[in-house]
Amino acid sequence: MIPDQPIAQAIALILAQAVVLLCVSPAIVGLINKVKARLQCRQGAGILQPYADLKKLFRKQPVLSTTTTWIFTATPYIVFASTVTAGLLIPVFASQMPLNFAGNIIAFVYLLALGRFFLILAGLDSGSSFGGMGSSREAIVASLTEPAMIMAIFAIALTAGSTNLSTIVHRTALLEGIATDPSAHLMALSAVFIVVLAETGRVPVDNPATHLELTMIHEAMVLEYSGRYLALLEWASAIKLLVFLTLIANVFAPWGIATSFTPMALSVGLAVYLIKVAGLALLIGTIECMFAKLRLFRVTDLLGVAFILALLGLLFFYMLRG
Amino acid sequence: MSWLTPHIATQIVDFGSAMLLVTCFAIVAQRRLSACVDLFALQSLFLAMTAALVAFFTDTRHIYIAAALTVVVKVVVIPRLLKGVIERLNVTRELVMKVNVPASLLICGALVMIAFFITEPIMPFGHLLTRDSLAIALAIVLIGFFTMISRQKAVTQLIAFLMMENGLFLGATAATYGMPLIVELGVFFDVLVAALIAGIYTNRLQDAFDSVDTTRLNELKA
Repeated sequence: MIPDQPIAQAIALILAQAVVLLCVSPAIVGLINKVKARLQCRQGAGILQPYADLKKLFRKQPVLSTTTTWIFTATPYIVFASTVTAGLLIPVFASQMPLNFAGNIIAFVYLLALGRFFLILAGLDSGSSFGGMGSSREAIVASLTEPAMIMAIFAIALTAGSTNLSTIVHRTALLEGIATDPSAHLMALSAVFIVVLAETGRVPVDNPATHLELTMIHEAMVLEYSGRYLALLEWASAIKLLVFLTLIANVFAPWGIATSFTPMALSVGLAVYLIKVAGLALLIGTIECMFAKLRLFRVTDLLGVAFILALLGLLFFYMLRG
Repeated sequence: MSWLTPHIATQIVDFGSAMLLVTCFAIVAQRRLSACVDLFALQSLFLAMTAALVAFFTDTRHIYIAAALTVVVKVVVIPRLLKGVIERLNVTRELVMKVNVPASLLICGALVMIAFFITEPIMPFGHLLTRDSLAIALAIVLIGFFTMISRQKAVTQLIAFLMMENGLFLGATAATYGMPLIVELGVFFDVLVAALIAGIYTNRLQDAFDSVDTTRLNELKA
């Protein structure tokens, strides 16, 4: 699939993608917060506020509880590394990334699951009851999102005839060799969108703005973190959000992405990518203002819808082929 | 319009039908009555769009009229009527269900599969334009039927009934490019009257039992 390319160009592309993911992700969080603030008739912090927050946190000295073990200090690094690695597996502004031999869409899902597994452990490790509660809830949500995510991904992989993310995006962008079926596509897209809201801890499932201990999920797990550890976790969760938005933007509507490596195509691809991701951030900000957070026991209803839609996406594929 | 091959037209119509099916699942999962009404209005809007697309691709004039009537009756009038009924009630959401939401969703998923298996032998004989719209229409009818059985509030049952009617209309448009206009006008009138009667009935239920739970009607049996 990948044309032979000089090793220097390959490395440059991967580095460029990593830089884009690392640098753009805090701005996306800032943009969502800004949209929410404006919709609530507030001025709100600037879009660049998350950068300042990260800078502040990196300077502060971390405080560790005496009950914690090595898991607690290792987790921020594991979460950060696994999230960035997952981000490198997905095409961001060019459809054929040199790293696509390293893993397919299943590796992508389980790299993110690895980060979450350690985050759950760290929540338990801190010994606080809130951490344990957050971990338990995260495990519930994770066990419900994973089947829906995998089903939706298989529906997409089947239509594109490959589980490799670069191949899927490249074929969809060029509309070649894929069984275009808008119904299956729509079902899978709706399912993935619900899953993304749940996975990144956005409003109908979790509220990223709250520090009310009884309702929070992600915030409860990272409650005991401070200083550079907290900065790494916050940054990792921003990158995770961006990576999921990239998944939606590029797997379901990859048009505009660079399919060749000319400077012109790459810059257009980057511009289109930023517009798409910003559009999705606007959508998420609007959703957060329009809907209330669901009670924890109602989350199953929402994720049940995601699972059924993903299942129907698969079903449609077989029905229309058979 | 050289790009508009029959294949593309089929996909666009199928996409519209799939939107209807997605809103069906949203209605099944939704407990708040007013949100259910909004979702029904949205579904009717998708239905009108799909019907208009079929009319455009097949160049059938009278389906345009049916689509316009759908917008007037099912997107504007009936949802307003239902909102008025809900405002009078003291319940805003479906609290007790015979089948809980995740189980209902799984059953509805199974119903969609059944619909596909039933229509599969018919599909090769159908028109090219309507590949899986017929199956989706049948699925919507089945889901509406199931929702009517499994919910207890009169308002939800009414929405489920209207959802079934949407499915039938989609089926008629997809399979035969619409019924004769006079039949469709009659159906629209019937639906409007049915919604009115059901609204009045709901209000009477509320007055008599102080609840819109239809299972309370069993108390009337001696």
